[in-house]
Amino acid sequence: MHNSGPSSVAAPVIEVAGLAKEYRVYDKPEGLWASVRGLLHRTSRVVEALRGVNLTVGRGEFVALLGPNGAGKTTFLKLLSGIITPSRGTARVLGHVPWERADDFRRRFALVMGQRNQLWWDLPAAESFRLHKEIYRLDAARFERTRDELVDLLGVKKLVLQPVRELSLGERMKLELVAALLHEPEVLFLDEPTIGLDVVAQHTIHEFLRHVQAERRTTVILTTHYMKDVAALCERVVVITHGDIVHDGPLAEIVDRFTTHKIVTLDLDDPSATARIERCGFPCEVRGPRVVLRIDRQRIADVLPEILRSDGVRDVSVEDVPLEEIVAELFRSGAPERRAVVETAR
Amino acid sequence: MGRYLAIFLTFARACLVRDMTFRANFILESVTSLGWMSMNLAFYMLVFQFTPEIGKGTGWTREPFFAFVATGLIINSIVQAFFMPSAEELTEMVRTGGLDAVLVQPLDAQFLLSMHRVDYSSLANGAVGVGLLAWALARMGHAPPPVAWLLYPLLLLCGVAILYALVIVLAAATIHMGRNQSLYDFWFYMTNFSRYPAEIYAGPWGGPIRALFTFVLPILLVVNVPARVIARPLAGGAWWPVAGVVAAALAALVVSRVVFQRSLAKYRSASS
Repeated sequence: MHNSGPSSVAAPVIEVAGLAKEYRVYDKPEGLWASVRGLLHRTSRVVEALRGVNLTVGRGEFVALLGPNGAGKTTFLKLLSGIITPSRGTARVLGHVPWERADDFRRRFALVMGQRNQLWWDLPAAESFRLHKEIYRLDAARFERTRDELVDLLGVKKLVLQPVRELSLGERMKLELVAALLHEPEVLFLDEPTIGLDVVAQHTIHEFLRHVQAERRTTVILTTHYMKDVAALCERVVVITHGDIVHDGPLAEIVDRFTTHKIVTLDLDDPSATARIERCGFPCEVRGPRVVLRIDRQRIADVLPEILRSDGVRDVSVEDVPLEEIVAELFRSGAPERRAVVETAR
Repeated sequence: MGRYLAIFLTFARACLVRDMTFRANFILESVTSLGWMSMNLAFYMLVFQFTPEIGKGTGWTREPFFAFVATGLIINSIVQAFFMPSAEELTEMVRTGGLDAVLVQPLDAQFLLSMHRVDYSSLANGAVGVGLLAWALARMGHAPPPVAWLLYPLLLLCGVAILYALVIVLAAATIHMGRNQSLYDFWFYMTNFSRYPAEIYAGPWGGPIRALFTFVLPILLVVNVPARVIARPLAGGAWWPVAGVVAAALAALVVSRVVFQRSLAKYRSASS
């Protein structure tokens, strides 16, 4: 499925059509003799990392790009930020073709990669900020004002003078975000910014991103494996599997579209009630005095009063299926057979 | 231009701060570098105990030869201090995907990749080179003519430019190969030929080497031309080597620029 997305906005900031990226990868057979033969003759494959993706994103949207490992999310971000060139297709970000790497374009966006450090490793982040000021030609007063504001928002004032290598992962990521936002980019690409962070750091970064995005109307594309990031930040979710977009829409739509049942949790006073509830015929999991049922969404209104009338039920809660579970199902429902792999030899 | 200078100075300042942070490492690097250079100088002194000149009739007697060695030290120390550390780091950046962060910055990538590290310890050799040059010129008994003094800095820059271009082409090869750990070794082997007077490359073996490293890969011009201008003033009318080294430097810069840009277009990044 190729999707142009629900956002038929007046002035799109990102417009992508038929974007594809193929890589040639070389096979490395096992063993010494195979390695020697590989010096003269190597076999290679063409792997399609991205297969003709279409997407439109409007100004100020906060879009989550979800997908399993190797789905093509990071490749997509690298194409949109001009790091690599596509095999086919077109893209315009802020009116520019990204891989032409025009300075005017590069001054207007930022890319933060959670798994890579972009600050000077041996020096305090303040030195990297100073360099950033020069590279982006920032006016001194504007630079100081923005830096102080961002540093205050993330509560990292004490850290900017400490060598980056001495900071924790969470502290480093906060300073990476400050550096990325110093030039007030109109588009922000975030590649797993909360990876490996504890819940407190994750929460701080959520609050920060929400604030900055609302204040500046920044267009944000976020790749993540944490559904908490998505739930906290993104109105729109694009799911990509095997190089194709398989879903593009509001987060609530994913829940509606891809869940067929609700989770009903019952706390029981009377253990004998378990047997009665099991006889209802719904998938059921017993955890001590607690029973968890998966009930068809269409039938919940009919079934629930009946269950509540049962003796021995002390408390009840009704929830949607966890987002992680829905998304995992969505990933599995992608079309792996469409991932064409072309065998070649050289 | 002013912006690029400001950025370079920011890099240079940051590298100085870093070197000062790791003082012991800085001192050790300087001492190692000076030690290696001293051993080379001692070896040349030893050679001149047995012969009055390098190659019979070449004119490279002791003092002119040490002016030659000094010129090589100055050029090499500039390349080693300002360009080589960045180029070496590039190989790692390509392998790990660290180059991504450079490509998204609104700045010329070649500038950023070739000048973001400064190795101050390498400048120690250059300082010794300047001292050695002064000593050699003072001992020669005749001062170089004013035109030689004017040309010498320009020719030093041309020599640096040729070596810089070679470093850039080798670094560009890294982008294609994904991994190129022999970059520094290859550069060292190639530039080894530039460390001796061109006259020694004579005869059935030397002739082709001299032609190759003069007209195809002009590294023989790097030290020879400026050293000859300052130590053994050129005979009237024989200015073609000067014009040649200027032309070679410009051509090398253009070729390296084209090769680097084309390589960057082929960059495929690394998996995250």
